[in-house]
Amino acid sequence: MIRFALKNMAIKKVQIVLIVLSIVLSAGIAVLAFNVSNQVSDGISQNAKYYGVIIGPAGSETQLAMNSMYFSDEPLGTIPYSLVNELSMDGTNVKEAVPFAMADSYNGASIVGTSSTYLDGKELKTGEMLDDLGVFEAVVGSRVAKQNGLKIGDTLYTSHSATSAETHKKGIKVVGILAETHSSYDNVVFTQVRTLWEIHEHEEGENEEEDEHSHEKTVCAILIKAKNESSAMTLIEKYNGKVIEGEEKPISLQAISPMSAVRDVLNDADNTKYIVYVLCAVILVMNIMIISIITLLNMYHSSKEISLMRLIGISMKKINLLYLIQNSIIGILSILLAFVLSRICLALMNDYVSSMGVVLNIGRLYPLEILILVGVFLISVLPTAIWTFAMSHKDSISD
Amino acid sequence: MIEIKNLTKQFQNETAITYSDITFESGKSYMLLGASGCGKSTLLNIIAGILSPTSGSVIIDGESMSQKSQKEKDKYRIKNIGYIFQDFKLINEMSVMDNINILKLEGVNTQSAPEVLEKLGILDKKNSKIKHLSGGQKQRVAIARAIVKMPDIILADEPTGNLNFAIGEEVIKALVEVSSGKTLIAVTHDERLGKYFDNIIDMNEMTSGIVDIIPSKEADL
Repeated sequence: MIRFALKNMAIKKVQIVLIVLSIVLSAGIAVLAFNVSNQVSDGISQNAKYYGVIIGPAGSETQLAMNSMYFSDEPLGTIPYSLVNELSMDGTNVKEAVPFAMADSYNGASIVGTSSTYLDGKELKTGEMLDDLGVFEAVVGSRVAKQNGLKIGDTLYTSHSATSAETHKKGIKVVGILAETHSSYDNVVFTQVRTLWEIHEHEEGENEEEDEHSHEKTVCAILIKAKNESSAMTLIEKYNGKVIEGEEKPISLQAISPMSAVRDVLNDADNTKYIVYVLCAVILVMNIMIISIITLLNMYHSSKEISLMRLIGISMKKINLLYLIQNSIIGILSILLAFVLSRICLALMNDYVSSMGVVLNIGRLYPLEILILVGVFLISVLPTAIWTFAMSHKDSISD
Repeated sequence: MIEIKNLTKQFQNETAITYSDITFESGKSYMLLGASGCGKSTLLNIIAGILSPTSGSVIIDGESMSQKSQKEKDKYRIKNIGYIFQDFKLINEMSVMDNINILKLEGVNTQSAPEVLEKLGILDKKNSKIKHLSGGQKQRVAIARAIVKMPDIILADEPTGNLNFAIGEEVIKALVEVSSGKTLIAVTHDERLGKYFDNIIDMNEMTSGIVDIIPSKEADL
C-alpha cells in the first residue's frame, strides 16, 4: 500500500512539492518565531537574575542594564570606584560587588575592565582566568581571538575608540581565551579594571605635565549580588537618587533592579512578540485555506482516478486508506522539514541574537511548537479524510 | 453459468431497456453484437455489479447479484470478474506493471503478470508508462489486468472500439486465447470479429423480446 502510495505521489510531484513547500514555510516560520521570541525572553531574564542590583550614574535604566550586562549601548558615565569598596564592606546586604568599566577598543572589540567574578560560569578554551591581583592581563572573547588570530602570550594594543588608528603604548597580555558562548561575550576583551586606569594614567602622565595629581579611580557601573531580595531592595532605596561628591562635580547615582529594567525591555518586546504571533496566525490560517484548496482540487482531479480504481474493483475503504497514507506522508515530511528549517534558521540567527547576550539553544523545544506542528499535520490530512469519507458514502460507483 | 432473468433497466432520462431471459454457459465465449444504445454495455455493467438493475436479476453460479450490496458486488467483481473497458481505464502516468499491481491493494496475487504479458506479446513493455504505448498495447495491458487474477468470468466492453480493424482483430485473438476455459462475454459492433467466439448474440433481438444465440460457425459472417 505504501509503495503504491509513493508511486501515485510521484505522478503528482508538482502539486505535492507545492503543498510541502507551503506547509514547510508557514509551519517553519510559525515555529521559528515562537521559539526565538521565547528563548530571547527566557535568556534575557536569566542573565538579569544573576545580579540583584546595578548601581551607575543617573540616566536611562535600560541603558545601564544593557550596557553593564550585554555590552550594548554606551556607558552612562562614571562613578567613583570607592563605592565598590563601600559596598563590599556592607556584609549585611552585599554578597559581592563587581566593578564594570568599559573603555577603549581593540580592532572594534570593546574592552571591559572588571574582576574575575564577572566571568563566573564562563568556560576557557585555553589559558587561565583573570588574576584579580594582576594587571595588564586579558581574557579574550572567542570571536575576537579568532578574528585577530590571538593566542596566549600575545600582546594587544588598545585604542581610544573603534575608529581611532592610534593605539596606547602600553600593551595587554593575553592570558586566556574564552570558549565560544554564541553571546556578546565572544566580542569583548576582558581585563582587570586596574589595567584601564593604568593605561590612561600612563598616557596622561606622559602627555600632560600640568596634571600632576592622580585621577580618581572610576567605573561605569557596579553589579551587586545581594544577599537576598530584601537586601537588594534596601540597596536600591539607599543608592537610587543619591548624590555623591565627584572629582569635578557632584554625581547623581541610580540603583536599579536588572530584572525590572529587563522586564521593561521585554514588555516592549512582548508587544512585538504578539505582532509576530498574529502574523503567524494569519500565515497559518492562509495556509489552511491554501492546503485545503490545493488538496480538494487535487482530490477533484483524483476523482477520475478513484472512479477508475472503483471500476476495477478496489474498495472505497482501500482507496480512503491510500489517500490517507499519501497525505500523511506529505504531512509528516512537511512538518519534519519545517522543524529542520526552523532549527537551521535558529542556528543562523544565533549570532544576531547573541548581541543581546542570549544563546539560542537549537535543541530547545517548547510544547506549543509540537502543538503547531501537530495542528499543521492534521490540517494537511483533514481535507482528504473529509473528501474520501464523503466519497465512501456513495454506494453506486457509476455516479 | 450466468442467468439473466426478467431484467430491466430504466435510466433517469426515462430510457428503459428490457432484456430477454438468457443463460451464458461457463467456459464459453460470447460476442454481443448490436447498434449503439441497444443496451450492450449496460448489460455488462449490470453483470459486473457496476450498475444495479431496475428489476429482474442476474444469477451467477446460483447466486443472485441483485441482492448483494455495492460492497459485496465490488468484492465479488475483484475476485471473480475480469472487466475490460473500451477506454482501457489505465493510469497513464504509471507503468504497465504498476497498473496491474494496483490489484494488490485488494490482495490479488499478480505473480502471473509476466506470463500473461508474454502471451499478449507485450512483456518487453512491462516497465513502460501507459502514456508511451499505442492503443493496441494499452488494450492488451487492460486485458492482462483483467486476466492476471484468474477470474471465472471476463467481460469486455467494446475492447476494439478505439482500435482499427487489423489491431482490433489481433487484440480479440489474444483475448480469446488468454480467456480459454473461462466465460467470456465481449461487446462489439464489428460482426467480422464474430468468428473468434463460440456464440454470437444479436442484442437488437435480445432487447426486443426474442433472443437467438447463434453458434459462430453457423453465423453468416
